[in-house]
Amino acid sequence: MPRTRHSFIAGARGVLPILVGVIPFGLVAGAAVRHAGFGLAEAVGMSVVVFAGASQIAATTIFESGAPLWVALGTALVINARMFIYSTSIASYFADAPAWARPILGYMLVDQNYVSTMTEGRHRDDVDIIWYYVGGGASLWAVWQVSSIAGALLGPFIPASWGLDFAVPLVFLAMLVPAMKDRTAVGVAFATGIAAAVMVPLLPIQSGLIVAILFGMVFGAWLERPKAGESQ
Amino acid sequence: MTPTMQFWLLIVVLALGTWSMRSWPIILHGRVPRPAWLERLLKHVPVAALTALVVPGALYLHQGSGAYSFAPARTVAAVVALAVAWRTRNVLATLAAGMGVLWAAQWALTIIG
Repeated sequence: MPRTRHSFIAGARGVLPILVGVIPFGLVAGAAVRHAGFGLAEAVGMSVVVFAGASQIAATTIFESGAPLWVALGTALVINARMFIYSTSIASYFADAPAWARPILGYMLVDQNYVSTMTEGRHRDDVDIIWYYVGGGASLWAVWQVSSIAGALLGPFIPASWGLDFAVPLVFLAMLVPAMKDRTAVGVAFATGIAAAVMVPLLPIQSGLIVAILFGMVFGAWLERPKAGESQ
Repeated sequence: MTPTMQFWLLIVVLALGTWSMRSWPIILHGRVPRPAWLERLLKHVPVAALTALVVPGALYLHQGSGAYSFAPARTVAAVVALAVAWRTRNVLATLAAGMGVLWAAQWALTIIG
């Protein structure tokens, strides 16, 4: 098998277990658009052009609540600010990507694909990292669109008491545990977790999310600070 | 502007903003210097981001622009799911345990409450 195809398939397989969690996420996002009083066109339009689940749900439900447009937009953009950090972090692995492909690689940058590539793909010698990432991104994209459409169609029949949205943090939890490989990572998780528990309900327009991530990054760098007398 | 037009405006502007944030660092890579301190910070992004995405959902119930309320059934379910994730390293088992405990805990709270 050519290396490109092998890498693409490996990337798609890498996100396979995660896709199970993407389905309820997409259902909730699609259903939210219907619940806000819009149709299939709006649900598909949003899931295709935005392609960022948490911000889609936030933008839709805030819009529905009657808040000003800029509040819905501002909140959703603040939620997605973490993607700027992902992009900065993953960019060095895409150094060989041609200029025309980079905007597409950016479009495919979602939590699940970022984590799969950074915690699995980049440690494998048998794959081309860019094609691994594209394989994961394409799978996530396809499943996201199909489940958003299903959510827009079936949404009115899914009771809120099922708590389908809870599948989202559960899948991130299942991805987090294997990523906590050493004491520093466990420390970062604890610090970020405490910051998120306090800051997310406290700070406006859901800016607690990005504040907690930045706090965790600084805390991790502090844990690994060069000791006095030690050269870098 | 009708609500539908407003919603499409929201979709388009959100898409442009989101695409910009996730793409420009990749597009500009190689043309902008990357200091060593930045690398030391970026190393921790996967764990920090995943934790920040998990914890609020495990503690609170939150809809749209409303307030956050503590959700004990979710917290219990998340703790069980964490134990299952630790033991099995399996996404499906974690998801099944978490959703199962959530439904059981919600049912139990209805009986008590």
